[in-house]
Amino acid sequence: MIEAQALSKRYGTKTAVDAVSFTVQPGKVTGFLGPNGAGKSTTMRMIVGLDNPSGGRATVNGLPYARHKAPLRELGALLDAKAVHPKRSAYTHLRALAATHAIPDSRVREVIELAGLGPVAKKRVGGFSLGMGQRLGIASALLGDPQTVILDEPVNGLDPEGVQWVRRLAKSLAAEGRTVFLSSHLMSEMALTADHLIVIGRGRIIADAPIQSIIDGQGVARVRVRADRPQDLLGSLAADGVSSQILEPELLEITGVEPRRIAEVAVRNGVLIYELTPIQVSLEDAYMQLTSQEVEYQSHSLPSSGLLAASTEGHRA
Amino acid sequence: MTTPVTTAPTPALPGPRPHPRHESASGVSFGRVLKSEWIKITSVPSTVILILITTVVMIGLAALLAWQTTLSLNVEGDPEMAAQMQGPSDAASAALGIPGSGLAFGQLLMASLAVVLVASEWGTGMIRSTMVVVPRRSLALLAKQSVMAGISFVVGAGSALIGYFVAQPILNSADLGFALSEDGALLHIVNTGLVLALVSIFAMSIGTLIRNTAGGVVTSIGVLLVLPILFTVFGMGTEWVADAGRFLPSAGGDQMVATTIAEGAFTQWQGALILGGWSLLLLAASLLVTKKRDV
Repeated sequence: MIEAQALSKRYGTKTAVDAVSFTVQPGKVTGFLGPNGAGKSTTMRMIVGLDNPSGGRATVNGLPYARHKAPLRELGALLDAKAVHPKRSAYTHLRALAATHAIPDSRVREVIELAGLGPVAKKRVGGFSLGMGQRLGIASALLGDPQTVILDEPVNGLDPEGVQWVRRLAKSLAAEGRTVFLSSHLMSEMALTADHLIVIGRGRIIADAPIQSIIDGQGVARVRVRADRPQDLLGSLAADGVSSQILEPELLEITGVEPRRIAEVAVRNGVLIYELTPIQVSLEDAYMQLTSQEVEYQSHSLPSSGLLAASTEGHRA
Repeated sequence: MTTPVTTAPTPALPGPRPHPRHESASGVSFGRVLKSEWIKITSVPSTVILILITTVVMIGLAALLAWQTTLSLNVEGDPEMAAQMQGPSDAASAALGIPGSGLAFGQLLMASLAVVLVASEWGTGMIRSTMVVVPRRSLALLAKQSVMAGISFVVGAGSALIGYFVAQPILNSADLGFALSEDGALLHIVNTGLVLALVSIFAMSIGTLIRNTAGGVVTSIGVLLVLPILFTVFGMGTEWVADAGRFLPSAGGDQMVATTIAEGAFTQWQGALILGGWSLLLLAASLLVTKKRDV
């Protein structure tokens, strides 16, 4: 179990993590989701004590990580696949880490096989691909057979087989009753792996809920509407605090109001509606909505985006 | 009518795992971190090669100086040599210092290695693996320092001892051979190792503070080998500079391996106090700073 209480990290005047509190429960995979620069890695680094928090505290299985007598057996972490000396072999790297806890060689070989590194175990890590580096990082996280596992962007650079392996691994670890805390900026990845989501944006927690309820919560009232006089319809709906997006001259996407209400307003104002489709929100959309205000490095549309806009429209139609 | 209840084979509900499985016997201890650091140092081939080269060259330099000493004694009628070497008694005391004559070279390499060992952890990112596994940072650093200091001592004292045995047949040809039991001989050999150990602590602490290989090597070599030259040059005219120069870490090291103590100069033990003081001071600073810093 991981608990964060008002955990903060400031760099000068910039607040990277802003008093976040959350609990990562054992027995399930908890996804830690947020755009790049949202504070995911910083939060994870504070949990294992690499960064000193500016405020608040984090505990692992009830104690600050550094206070455990055998930290590697409490928590295993993959924070950075490149946290390895390139001239060492995977095997000696793991053996050096294992020696600190008197973890036997048999366990080192076990995690090497588990991570599928058997054939390259004696090769220098410097020649590893990013995916192999990730596997080595995961192997080192599992070395101490820990109760809690933290994996920062574990599927980065993995091939499809590796991605599936990480998913199965995370789920099986959770099924064994362990705490699994997994970060990603990819919603689709989380949808497949996580049971519970903690969403972070600009250093603040913006959602902390089971994955299904996040989808449901964001998906209630997004409706695609084709109407002949969209401006009139929107004008009449404006009072209800809706937001809308005009996709084509007669095609709208209205958020925050039930389809029935739209139909009522349309009838009252004599607007012709010829399509009214509630949209089932994907987790991706839910995530985009949650974080749209919180993205630190937002990409803006290009000034001359005629071509781009046309292609997007074609895509939506 | 009752429908037969088919119970799907539900996996046993995973309770909280009884952790930790292996109990306290397998926690982090200084001895274990030492072993880990030993594995780290010995598993990078270039490090091992550098250590071996240092040892061989230090032995070689002892042999070379022994040869040169006998040679200079055999050159008769050379007025320059005669001026430098006033009789066989001076040559004999100089011979005492032959086993550790490769010390300056050894310092250069071992100080660089000490910096590389610690700074490369930051350079490669390995430090994050290290500090996650051993979150008590001082413990991790002290283990690394101990392993490197131990290796340096063995390299220094070992090569001086071998150098002694290699030099004896050469010195004997000029009747300059001496026994280990001779006054100051063994102290010189042991202190050659001690200087190298203290210098490695000094350099590794600088490497820890700077966290950059190039910067750390330049700084520690600068302080150990270049600074004394500057102090000598400027100390010739200015007395207080010369006085201050006696308190440089390198000056302390020089006194530690000296076989004759000049009038008013520091003794071996005072020299050890100076070099050791600098090393411990920097070590303490590096531990303190590392504790506060983010990794």
